[in-house]
Amino acid sequence: MSVSASSSLSKSNLLKRLRHMNWQGERIDWAGYVFVLPFFVPFLTFTVVAILFGAYIAFTNWSIMGSPEWVGLENFTEAFKDPWVRKAFVNILRYGLIIVPGVTFFGLLFALYVNQRWPLSTFARTAFYSPNVVSATVIGLVWVWILDTQFGLVNNYLNRLGIPNIPWLTSTQWSLIGVSIASIWWDLGFSFVLFLAALQEIPADLKEAAAIDGANRWQTFWHVTLPQIRPALSMIVTLQLIATLRIFSQVYMMTNGGPAGSSVSVIHYIYTEGIVRFRLGYTAAVSLMLFFVILVVTLIQQRLIRERD
Amino acid sequence: MSATEAYRRIQVFLKRYNLPVADIPLWIAGMIVAVLWIAPFVWMVSTSLKPPKEVMTKEIQWIPRTVVLDNYQKVFEYPVLRWGLNSLIVAGTATFFGVLFGAMAGYALARLHFPGNRWLFAILIASLMIPTEMTIVPMFVGFLKAGLANTYFALIVPAIPNVFSVYIFRQFFLGLPDELEDAAAIDGANRFQIFWRIALPLARAPLLAATILLFTTNWNAFLWPLLIVFEEGMKTMPVGIAAFTPVVGTHTQLEGFGIAMAGVTLLSLPSLLIFFLLQRYFIEGISRTGIKG
Repeated sequence: MSVSASSSLSKSNLLKRLRHMNWQGERIDWAGYVFVLPFFVPFLTFTVVAILFGAYIAFTNWSIMGSPEWVGLENFTEAFKDPWVRKAFVNILRYGLIIVPGVTFFGLLFALYVNQRWPLSTFARTAFYSPNVVSATVIGLVWVWILDTQFGLVNNYLNRLGIPNIPWLTSTQWSLIGVSIASIWWDLGFSFVLFLAALQEIPADLKEAAAIDGANRWQTFWHVTLPQIRPALSMIVTLQLIATLRIFSQVYMMTNGGPAGSSVSVIHYIYTEGIVRFRLGYTAAVSLMLFFVILVVTLIQQRLIRERD
Repeated sequence: MSATEAYRRIQVFLKRYNLPVADIPLWIAGMIVAVLWIAPFVWMVSTSLKPPKEVMTKEIQWIPRTVVLDNYQKVFEYPVLRWGLNSLIVAGTATFFGVLFGAMAGYALARLHFPGNRWLFAILIASLMIPTEMTIVPMFVGFLKAGLANTYFALIVPAIPNVFSVYIFRQFFLGLPDELEDAAAIDGANRFQIFWRIALPLARAPLLAATILLFTTNWNAFLWPLLIVFEEGMKTMPVGIAAFTPVVGTHTQLEGFGIAMAGVTLLSLPSLLIFFLLQRYFIEGISRTGIKG
């Protein structure tokens, strides 16, 4: 009896000590761990654990049946020789070269316009942002219809101007451009809102000072506005580039990568090879390569921005 | 109203909006672009209301000559109601827990003092640089091997942890004055009571922003539901309607775009409605965090 009493005493002592434990000069709030648990357990499972598992699969030969068999770098050497992999990686860079400048330029232009607060600017803001809230299915189907070669709205208008039908989504020449047009329409709202927020942060007296100095609109933009929104600009370019290198849903909906792989993206290739054909090890390796490309692109870009500042 | 009176009124109007007369052409040009920008939506609805003969044609009819609901009737021959119900269940549940767990984690990261606090936030920010698509193969295999394909569990649980949610709550709670909580602590309330009764009810703005942004994101989710569900009855609405695309199925090639446009009109309605009614929260939420849903 005396033993159990002393053990319960030491237990309550331990609890007391824990409760009064300090860290960096302040009492530790143990409840913090309970608060973060429901978020961080699934979050870490679906990011960190999933990535580690994926990295392991990348070094194995595994089609859903049986267990994974270690093959070393075989998947990577095969991927480097695979013409489809090369095509997919070249394509995402081409998507990036069209979509990122498109979204950045028009997003900034529209934000500058709405920021003037001219009549009906709230309507313009709603209009420019609205495509961003609908799903890829909507974007894909609406644009497949609008860009339809024979009866699509765009070609119907072009015909009236005497321009013959353009096979926007059905030719190797145009398919990537057709998907990019829809993507710019879809993605623009996000960067538009971020630009708008950055423009509204610019102190009004800076512009007034420029106006007093007799600067015209272009000079004010170039010497006052642009330096002020530089951080937002670099963030938008980075985020949009990462998003574009991951392009999938529009491609799946609009061309399914075709014709002849002319619009295929890396994620789309991973989808068709890995999920549809169950080449898990191989596509996990391609995923790792994509991750590496995104990492390098992000680092280079941030380095460039830092050097220019 | 005399001409001079009208002129004076226009002057007042232009002055109020700070619109110089020389900029009127620019203002009009911008308005035309804004109208063109939403024209695809107008064309979508217009097509969905046309009879098949008026859809596949070279004529351009923005307003249907005859308005019919045939396309909508045909859409409902597919299990669209079931897909819509699935989407509601999945998006509703994932949003509820996404907001709740995000608020809890955001509160702890902002206000509670414990070792690892800053590390967890650093991991959160770093994760934004990692494309989620990186994880599709391992996630797919994991859920398939666990026998969880075609379940609500597989659709809902991975959608729950949402970085935007944590971030926006953390930012809000960082700005909350200490005094409110201190008073409750003196009265003997524990951390959970303080969070539930004092902190959370004050967080109306982030609660609304997180709810609507997470709901539209979850409602629109495409890649993961496409992978993990292959039973017709378990599909979500975006994936179900996606089958109308002429590049994957043959349906639209045969029947034209009327039915497909009716499908996507139904699909886009909830997101567009929420956005039109509550757009202030969308725009503030995104511009304050730089993250989208």
